[in-house]
Amino acid sequence: MDLHFSEADQEFRARAREWLTANVPTAKRPAHGPEAAQFDRDWQRKMYDNGWAGVAWPKEYGGLGLSGLQQVIWYEELARAHAPHYINTTYISLMHAGPTVAARGTDEQKAFHLHRILSGESLWCQGFSEPNAGSDLAALKTRGVIDGDHIVVNGAKMWTTDAQHADYQELLIRTDPDSERHKGLTWVICDMKAPGIDIKPIRTMLQDEHVNLVFYDDVRIPISNVVGEVNKGWSTALATLSFERGLGFIGDQLELYERVCRAIELAETVRMEDGRRAIEDDGIAQRLASIKADTIAIRSMTLADIAETDRTGEPGPKGSMMKLMVTSTHKALSEVVGEIIGWEFLEFNGDRSAHPWTYDYLWSWVFSISGGTNEIQREITADRILGLPRGR
Amino acid sequence: MYLAPDGDEIEIANAAAEFLADAMPIERLHSVNSADLNASLRSTLGEMGWFALAVPEAKGGSGLTPVEHALFFRECGRQCAPVDLLAQCLAANMISDDGLRQSVISGETGVSLIIADGDSFRIFGSSDATHALLVSPDKAHLYALDGLDAEVRPALDPANSIRTTMALPGLVETVAGKPIWQLGQLGTAAMLVGIAEASLDLIVEYAKVRETFGRKIGAWQAVRHPCADMAVRVEAARSELWYAATALKEGRSDAEVHLDAAKHLANLAAHANADSNIQLHGGIGVTDEHNAHLLLKHAMLLSRLFGTKRSLLARLLNARLED
Repeated sequence: MDLHFSEADQEFRARAREWLTANVPTAKRPAHGPEAAQFDRDWQRKMYDNGWAGVAWPKEYGGLGLSGLQQVIWYEELARAHAPHYINTTYISLMHAGPTVAARGTDEQKAFHLHRILSGESLWCQGFSEPNAGSDLAALKTRGVIDGDHIVVNGAKMWTTDAQHADYQELLIRTDPDSERHKGLTWVICDMKAPGIDIKPIRTMLQDEHVNLVFYDDVRIPISNVVGEVNKGWSTALATLSFERGLGFIGDQLELYERVCRAIELAETVRMEDGRRAIEDDGIAQRLASIKADTIAIRSMTLADIAETDRTGEPGPKGSMMKLMVTSTHKALSEVVGEIIGWEFLEFNGDRSAHPWTYDYLWSWVFSISGGTNEIQREITADRILGLPRGR
Repeated sequence: MYLAPDGDEIEIANAAAEFLADAMPIERLHSVNSADLNASLRSTLGEMGWFALAVPEAKGGSGLTPVEHALFFRECGRQCAPVDLLAQCLAANMISDDGLRQSVISGETGVSLIIADGDSFRIFGSSDATHALLVSPDKAHLYALDGLDAEVRPALDPANSIRTTMALPGLVETVAGKPIWQLGQLGTAAMLVGIAEASLDLIVEYAKVRETFGRKIGAWQAVRHPCADMAVRVEAARSELWYAATALKEGRSDAEVHLDAAKHLANLAAHANADSNIQLHGGIGVTDEHNAHLLLKHAMLLSRLFGTKRSLLARLLNARLED
């Protein structure tokens, strides 16, 4: 065991810190709408133009070709520099679609999409879940019928984050009508401007309209857009999900420590109704310190996992445990801050920048439900880590 | 950067696991008079050099590091090894007199652990131990136990006897500084991680064979999900343990913060996992013949040593990590 960052790692960190200090946008990110997506594209473009996009992506795809550990360093420096939050409209393209196309796509798909993703030119959304297929993803019913060199899609997808801003979608459909469950599915790149797509926003408890219902009415997609093989899309989908569960929340994993330190600073100044500072309350102080210990351990888990992945070359099955740990810590922190700041916690207009703690509290359910609910993560842990008998 | 046992570290961990499973398996605690080390166990452990892994070679040890120390004590935890084993090891790292140190390393001289409790002291260890160690965060005292007037108290945890005394006998040596406390904190955190792991292993094994309502209990989500939570606790506590051990080995300025975090996570993981293990076993889990209660009771002792919840959290609140 060792904790040494190599000279190259340290040099990378120093350069990243210097560049971020000078270049992190000073303007506030708009909370909603096309302005928010444009803000995200511009920031991604700035990173791309200055050689900071895709730290661990292979060089042939426009990335920097650096290690997972250097990617960790990059996210640590983003958090330190208070850079725009990494979960924004570029998230699906950078964390899901890009790695999936790089791993399973054709040369043409890679050549067309990867640099557009890295430069922020194209934004993506996910098209997996449906009104009747969420946790039970393999129950999905959206149909794709092969017609010459096209697939004609009919059906509906749900919980599609940022569909209204996306240029492309990672769409999982049933192409074999006689198939059941995991068989007969196809993972295809859908152009979101194609005729027949209708997007209906779903307003959430966060007072936003980031997630959507997407309807497909005879939408024609070229067969050349299939990633992986026709009727073998489950394998491609699992690859997509492993990227999300492996590194998808790395920013939160590294940022939570800074966030709990900010909460402790807050508790040192805020007065409670009895006139004492919040930090003088043993219950609050102990909860904050315990959450801080959890965030320190989360960083160690991350480093342990990344070092292992750098060595083996592929993400292990520990991402599900990571997500359980991170989401529960995130929620515990939001809850204690809610007690510390009192009435102000109840002021909210849907703007993350203006009301970060309340936003984070509401977000905690999005966090523990999206990308595989915590219940599903426990199932994966029971199956793949513990080898328990299957109940499903 | 690599945060898991690697190379020789794996071999040492495996050797420790094999040795302890043979020399002091947890099952020993189902027989009477199995508490503490005894002269024979001390000598077997001493012959193998287990008390002096982290003692420099020039002082008669193996010259290894806090990492191997942690790997060894994690295996000790899995077998509910008594805490005088840790006292013996800490004394080997502390004593300046060559003859006495050598005698402790070989296991000829026994060392107990002393804990201050209000106006009195509690002594954990074999009655034939001639010495005892009292460790605080900034110094360690070694006492000779000749003429000790102590009262035997009933012990909840069968792994260790408890005696109390109002007055400590002769002080042999005091060493200032943090290293002995830190090795003690790392050792107890490692033992607690071992207990958290052993608890998880027991229930996973049982869940694969025990049936209810016509199914293996491991197929029911009421059992699977708490098991997954146990695995998460182990993963977090173990990752932090490796980080703390390595930070101590490399002399990092924030090693103490990581030790405190590691001990806190290990306290919680061992307690919660020992608890879940009993509950998920059902009735058999509360029987004396099962090992489940042994893990819980030993965790209760270890979580009170080298950093209690209250003291750890008070330190962690204002601690900062190295940049």
